[in-house]
Amino acid sequence: MARRPASAGSPLVDASMNEAERLEAFEARIHRGEKIEPGDWMPDEYRRQLIRMISQHAHSEIVGMLPEGAWITRAPNLRRKLVLLAKVQDEAGHGQYLYHAAETLGATREEMIEALLSGRAKYSSIFNYPSLSWADMGVIGWFVDGAAILNQTMLARCSYGPYSRANIRISAEESFHMKQGKEQVILMSQGTPLQRSMVQDAVDRWWWPTIMMFGPHDHDSPNSPVLIRWGIKTKTNDQLRQDFVNQVAPEVLELGLSLPDPSLHYDEASGNWLTGSIDWDEFWRVVKGDGPCNAERIAARRKAHADGEWVREALAAYAERQATA
Amino acid sequence: MKAEHRESLANYLTALGDDELILAHRGSEWAGHAPILEEDIAFANLALDELGHASTWYRLAAELLNEDPERHPDALVFARPASEFRNVRMVELPNGDWAFSMLRQYLFDASEQIRLSALASSQYPGLAQAAAKIRTEELYHLRHTSAWVRRLGLGTQQSNRKMQAALDLLYPDALQLFAESASELELAQAGFVPQPDGLLVSWKSYVRQDLTASQLRIPDGEPSAPAGRSEHTPHLERLVADMQQVARLEAGVDW
Amino acid sequence: MRDTQWPRFQVFHQEHPDRPHTNAGAVHAPDAELALQNARDVFVRRPDCVSLWVVPADQILSLTAEEIEHTDLPPAPAGNGDSQRYLVFIKRTQVGSHEHVGAVAAASGPAALGEAVRRFGTADALVWWVVSESLIERTEAAEVGSLFGPAKDKPYRDQAFYHTTTLMRQIRGRPKQEP
Repeated sequence: MARRPASAGSPLVDASMNEAERLEAFEARIHRGEKIEPGDWMPDEYRRQLIRMISQHAHSEIVGMLPEGAWITRAPNLRRKLVLLAKVQDEAGHGQYLYHAAETLGATREEMIEALLSGRAKYSSIFNYPSLSWADMGVIGWFVDGAAILNQTMLARCSYGPYSRANIRISAEESFHMKQGKEQVILMSQGTPLQRSMVQDAVDRWWWPTIMMFGPHDHDSPNSPVLIRWGIKTKTNDQLRQDFVNQVAPEVLELGLSLPDPSLHYDEASGNWLTGSIDWDEFWRVVKGDGPCNAERIAARRKAHADGEWVREALAAYAERQATA
Repeated sequence: MKAEHRESLANYLTALGDDELILAHRGSEWAGHAPILEEDIAFANLALDELGHASTWYRLAAELLNEDPERHPDALVFARPASEFRNVRMVELPNGDWAFSMLRQYLFDASEQIRLSALASSQYPGLAQAAAKIRTEELYHLRHTSAWVRRLGLGTQQSNRKMQAALDLLYPDALQLFAESASELELAQAGFVPQPDGLLVSWKSYVRQDLTASQLRIPDGEPSAPAGRSEHTPHLERLVADMQQVARLEAGVDW
Repeated sequence: MRDTQWPRFQVFHQEHPDRPHTNAGAVHAPDAELALQNARDVFVRRPDCVSLWVVPADQILSLTAEEIEHTDLPPAPAGNGDSQRYLVFIKRTQVGSHEHVGAVAAASGPAALGEAVRRFGTADALVWWVVSESLIERTEAAEVGSLFGPAKDKPYRDQAFYHTTTLMRQIRGRPKQEP
């Protein structure tokens, strides 16, 4: 097959290029809106950042099953029981799609799981908070899934093909996660005094952790510039955070609920709802492993993994014998 | 339909619903704790289908009792004391290990296949239709759990031992699924439900094939659970207390 | 024995009989039968699907448009040697997925890739995949009801099942309550 000379038209990355030229051609592809697929040339840093980001995203989905999974047995009617189980099932599915996207970059699921269970890998620290009442189910759905949707909608436009496709699939499925939660919060906020106080308490506990879900402020995010340059992210932490607050804060207030932020106000000039300052000490404590549930979450995952070892081995042994039979 | 048949049939359907509900409840406890991610998803699917089946049976019972089918299922699940549940003992037992849960699911799925096939010719049209629909979902359940039973039975010495231990416990309990009661025999006479002894024979022969092919020994002996479904273990009391905890905070409230 | 997450199988689903199979993602499974079942549980929680194919991921040979530029593909075979059928999947759009386009006969995977590029390569093809047809495990037509029917009965997975917009509108429309 004849080689196309590097100078003809807009070249894809060519083997005859040096490192700087390859990088330039790679970045030109991204700026043209092209998707990078497994097999295409990519800088090591692009691969490394993506594996880190995607596996963290996957771990978050898996750990995220735990605070909600604990309440399936206690759902107060059949519809809520069904819906919560379907949501938690979807979260496992989303973790699955994301691990797959990372696997296309050369990471193995064994390695990624080992990294999570050993404490080396991070996951969204929102899941290190406990789910203390049934009302948490509504608030987690509205706030946490609402925040995740903003993030995933953005990531659906990511330059790396498999990650983009995973987020497209996730976004399509996630919309019911948010709406089922919002529906619950609406009903409880308009319900009995007990329900109203339960849901207000949940809002008070989940609001700030959700705000912090979007990560540090832009000026404190060392990874952000390269992620944006390479089309991995298209919006900054602060932009997404502002989108979330604008979307959710006014509706929470419309329901007659309050938000635990005395400084929260609508700014006419910018058209934004502005929050008070975020307690970054708490954020970093929880990220570094000192949150209320960090130990419990990882212990649960370690147990599931350890308890499942004989199962995985048994099925592998059966398959091996069938293959050689 | 005679009045006494209506009530009997409603009780029969409620019992079927209770089996599905309690088994689904147990199954849902595995979400986030299964041996591999794909089974978190697959086992949750079984539980979701079963919650749907429970609803279907409860709604059919409601129609027979002139209760509101929109409200009756929740009333059954969240307002009855544990002593009034009519599930078989097998489904209320704690999950144990993966071998126990998977084998229990398989034994139940096999019983469903046989019972639903027979119910498809019930003289009560609503029941025949519901059974035919549920059977379509159950086909897949049995495909899944029988594939797993085979692989766990034949996989390693360790998995075989665990499966055998589970079978020794579960098989005598599973026989309760086909225990005869006077009212069930009467309903069978009237053509509304199948004869339980016929179901038992079919079930035993069906599972024997799968289990022996999986190198598992079927335990001898009598059914270990009492024939009636009104006797339960202390596990059910705990399960129901947990299940009804939030609902009981305030009765009749919209969640 | 080393504890693994089991091998990976790429999954292709067909939403409608008139449309080609496209790549949905991958599942981990110990063998083909569980791969098919896992594919159903992972990828068909929502409608529509009429067929699933699974194939061991490490048996798929792949080439991107970029790789073609600096790869020498095997020449077209001289005669009719020992050949097998390879199914060909192509990704044609930036945001799309790999789609089944047809098959080629070839003596090896690399030869199949070469044949696929020659036969199907068009200006807009971005990625080619080939895999030996004998390695593909498929769902059967008779199973469509039990495999894919149940997904249609789960309206609660659809966001339209929740009436948040109506509820908010009702609340907004109410006269203001005293706190």
